[in-house]
Amino acid sequence: MLRRTFMSLTLGTAMALTGAFNAAAQAEELTIFWAEWDPANYLQELANLYTAETGVTITVQTTPWPDFQTKTFAEFNAKGDAFDMVVGDSQWVGAGSTGGHYVDLTDFYAKHKVLDSMAPATVKAYAEYPGNSGKYWSIPLEGDAAGWAYRKDWFEDPKEMEAFKAKYGYDLAVPKTYKELRDIAEFFYRPDEKRYGIAIYTDNSYDAMLMGIESTIFSYGGELGDYSTYKVDGILNSPQNAEAVEMYKTLYGFTPPNWGKTFFQESNQAITENLAAMSLNFFAFFPALANKASNPNADVTGYFANPAGPGGAQHAALGGQGISIVSYSKKQEESMKFLEWFIKDETQKKWAELGGYTCNKAVLESEAFRKATPYNEAFYQTMFSVKDFWAVPEYAELLTQINNHVYPYVISGEGGSAQAVLDNVTKEWTETFKKYGRGG
Amino acid sequence: MAGLATLHPSSKAAARGWSDLTIRNIFIIPTIMFLIIFNVFPLLYSLGYSFTDFRASVNEPVKFIGLANYRELLNDPRIWNNFWVTAKYVMVSVFGQMVIGFGLALLLNRKIPAKGLITTLLMLPMMMSAAVVGLFWRLLYDPSWGPLNYVLGLGNLAWLSDADLALYAVAITDIWMWAPFVMLLSLAGLSAVPQHLYEAAAIDRAGSWYTFFHITLPLVSPLLLIALIFRTMEAFKTFDIAYILSTQPTTELVSIKLYKFAFQEWQTGKSCALAYIVLIMVLAITNIYVKYLNKAKER
Amino acid sequence: MAVVTSSRKKVWNRVAIAAVIVIAIAFLSPLYWIGSTAFKPRSLATTVPPTVFFQPEITPFIKLFTKRVQLTKPVDPAVYDAAPWYEQRIYDGGERILRVGPNIQLSQYPNRFMNSLIVAIISTFIAVSMGTITAYGFSRFKMAGEADWLFFILSTRMLPPIVVAIPMYLMYRVVGLNDSHVGLIILYTAFNLSFSVWLMKGFMDEIPKEYEEAALVDGYTRIQSFFKIVLPEAVTGIAATSVFCFITAWNEYAFALIMTNRRAQTTPPFIPSQVGSGLIDWTVIAAGTLLFIIPVAVFTFMLRNHLLRGVTFGAIRK
Repeated sequence: MLRRTFMSLTLGTAMALTGAFNAAAQAEELTIFWAEWDPANYLQELANLYTAETGVTITVQTTPWPDFQTKTFAEFNAKGDAFDMVVGDSQWVGAGSTGGHYVDLTDFYAKHKVLDSMAPATVKAYAEYPGNSGKYWSIPLEGDAAGWAYRKDWFEDPKEMEAFKAKYGYDLAVPKTYKELRDIAEFFYRPDEKRYGIAIYTDNSYDAMLMGIESTIFSYGGELGDYSTYKVDGILNSPQNAEAVEMYKTLYGFTPPNWGKTFFQESNQAITENLAAMSLNFFAFFPALANKASNPNADVTGYFANPAGPGGAQHAALGGQGISIVSYSKKQEESMKFLEWFIKDETQKKWAELGGYTCNKAVLESEAFRKATPYNEAFYQTMFSVKDFWAVPEYAELLTQINNHVYPYVISGEGGSAQAVLDNVTKEWTETFKKYGRGG
Repeated sequence: MAGLATLHPSSKAAARGWSDLTIRNIFIIPTIMFLIIFNVFPLLYSLGYSFTDFRASVNEPVKFIGLANYRELLNDPRIWNNFWVTAKYVMVSVFGQMVIGFGLALLLNRKIPAKGLITTLLMLPMMMSAAVVGLFWRLLYDPSWGPLNYVLGLGNLAWLSDADLALYAVAITDIWMWAPFVMLLSLAGLSAVPQHLYEAAAIDRAGSWYTFFHITLPLVSPLLLIALIFRTMEAFKTFDIAYILSTQPTTELVSIKLYKFAFQEWQTGKSCALAYIVLIMVLAITNIYVKYLNKAKER
Repeated sequence: MAVVTSSRKKVWNRVAIAAVIVIAIAFLSPLYWIGSTAFKPRSLATTVPPTVFFQPEITPFIKLFTKRVQLTKPVDPAVYDAAPWYEQRIYDGGERILRVGPNIQLSQYPNRFMNSLIVAIISTFIAVSMGTITAYGFSRFKMAGEADWLFFILSTRMLPPIVVAIPMYLMYRVVGLNDSHVGLIILYTAFNLSFSVWLMKGFMDEIPKEYEEAALVDGYTRIQSFFKIVLPEAVTGIAATSVFCFITAWNEYAFALIMTNRRAQTTPPFIPSQVGSGLIDWTVIAAGTLLFIIPVAVFTFMLRNHLLRGVTFGAIRK
């Protein structure tokens, strides 16, 4: 028995070594790192076209969203060259540029007139740091924002419409305000029938839940602070922000059971499994809902933009990423060539056709793009009213701090009131900014 | 360690080949060196960092800040909560594993058809990757698309979203995974109890309770203690299962907090300090256990 | 066990057997669930009430090994008809397989699996070999402060891995061992070494030293008697130790997640990374899990007889 064991061990070792040897042989190869989701697969498909043209192999390496930030920065901070390019979140531009992880693309912008082809809002959000400095660190790759999917068949059921009108005094339709959103969520919340009102993000491991809260805060006319002076007190803990957090907590009450750690998959599943009437998600996750094979309700699923708050303001949280060259990569020249190819108008058109959310102005505004899917129109509208989280290098700490306070309040009602919770976050954020010497 | 066996080398044998001293050194020193290089050295490295404000994510000069990290951590009620959560978790999950594992072993310790097969099958859970186990139990626990609540008739019981229940849900998963380990060790211990002791007890018409408490338990206890040591140590270290199953503050184990400090917020210095606090605690607990183990062995 | 076979004993035996069956079913049903999900059509994976009877299919395994993407518009019927059967299954699921030129693009699963094999086999081999000789050293020779050394060795296993992860990560980045097979092998060896020494030490103590003494008298050198006499006696212990070390190295997640990327990443962090793409495809995760458990299960099954005995001898000292 022992001999057999040793034999298999030796054999395995030999096999393993040959495998390792073979892996080292590849040469012309670029690696792009991104999170695991459909757009990354579309990018792989696009990159395969580049391979066919040039012979340079491109691998789009992915990791699940909750670990994406950790893994990227673990590699950055180790000054590793595992990735040549990273499709990084908009919040990372600060850390990526000041930490020396991203290659400065300002000259590339000038040389290839990137500003003429890309939508200005996306360049500001994904590429420029510090704000209004004219220094660029990435190419907008995937535009994205928070939006909503809903069950058209539930909304258009005559019986439901009648009952709704009788109860709330106005017609059941796509909600235009958060108040209507709340009413509809409450209306469809029927645990006995295994039907629930609404699906929202609650995962607090990265920025998932915050995306939902942010969207609400922005529509309530609130801000997360003054991004140029780093003033937080009086802005983050404003009365309208407290109201917005309170609203998010109210909405949580109308979610399906066990909704305490949910992100895009659960949001989509709420629609496919007939659980919720409405579901918050990023537009980039909607292809799975429009696809009949993965969503039996594809034909009766509609989409709408984030509704307005009580003051009439209407915004949504920005998602999406820009692609940057990693400064530790040994293949920066080769990567530049790929980016040159990527920003070409034909490539951008192809990118949109494959399913990517291009940030190319011309493609974005074209009739063909807006009609291409059931959700593109809502996406197009939203992209004009997006706002984003802090992009400072210490954004990760800010994220943890707000998660620490807001999550227990939304899920279990801990922390007293929304106002008290936000006051606590304000205190911690102010201290954090002081610690890093920001805002004088 | 008790019962050290020594061999007095015969002078004839020592004259040929390597001396015993050489052999001992060749056999032991590489392992100790290896562990020093890859365990002690990193620890000293991080001890140094625990007194600084070092952040692995920025290229700024490192400042020595003395005990500030430790002071900050020990004054943070949230860190104490992490320790409290960990203590609760270790107790619940290890207790469950010991009871179920030992119980299963007692049940299996008799003539049962297909005993070998059942034992081997029961070991499957501990052969799985904890990360994957966590992932699947998230599916199992879900009232809307998982089978567990349906099969048990629990309706909409929200295992993981209920702040009070989530820790128990994580512990149940851990028990499922590791009770078989305790079972294996207990079975080994039970099969080592000399048969004649039972026979003697039967002749004396001793009751089954008496036999259990006075014959079985004392003889199995060293192995049970080993199982207890290893399971406590492992439960203290639990990261994957809890991290994947739940992000509730009520399930934030110390190791998760460490991970967040170190690899999400990149507060490297502070995370090293917390690591040291954990290290001292675990060392203390294990030391107590090992003392008991030696006592049990000497009996 | 029962020497006195009274009818009361028989009844108890029946009750015990029934209890074992009930508990075994409770323990094994999650495994059955994972195993059966690997052969389910995607739409039946998340049904309530759970689906037990279904037409098994191997589509999840096709998905596991190919790089796929969500369809944004229905597939052209002509293309569908021309496609091979496995590609049609993918089209049926609303996805298409990516291609580089004319070739189908494979997923990273085979690659990751290979990395897992390399790292787990080599690190287990090193940890068990070193553990065996060190245990022999401790068992047979006097050493000053032996108890302290042994406790030191055990203590290296007490730390939450994350504690070591921080300095290891910093060290590796200095010497460039990040994302390498060697780096992971060293780590897992360090994890398992203490366990291996402890288990083997108990076992070595059990082997009567008279055997060696006889061999020495017969003219063997100490080294020869170790290989010819002690090692064969230690087979059971070595087998049991190998199983535990292999299980640990095979399944490790946290370090593999932090320390490795495209070159050396093992399978455990890869399986959860299949959760993307808008909706979780549990069938693929189950397929990946099922294949991944096979090597450990086979290894354990091969050595199962040693396992039980090995643990007994290794831990109890009479």
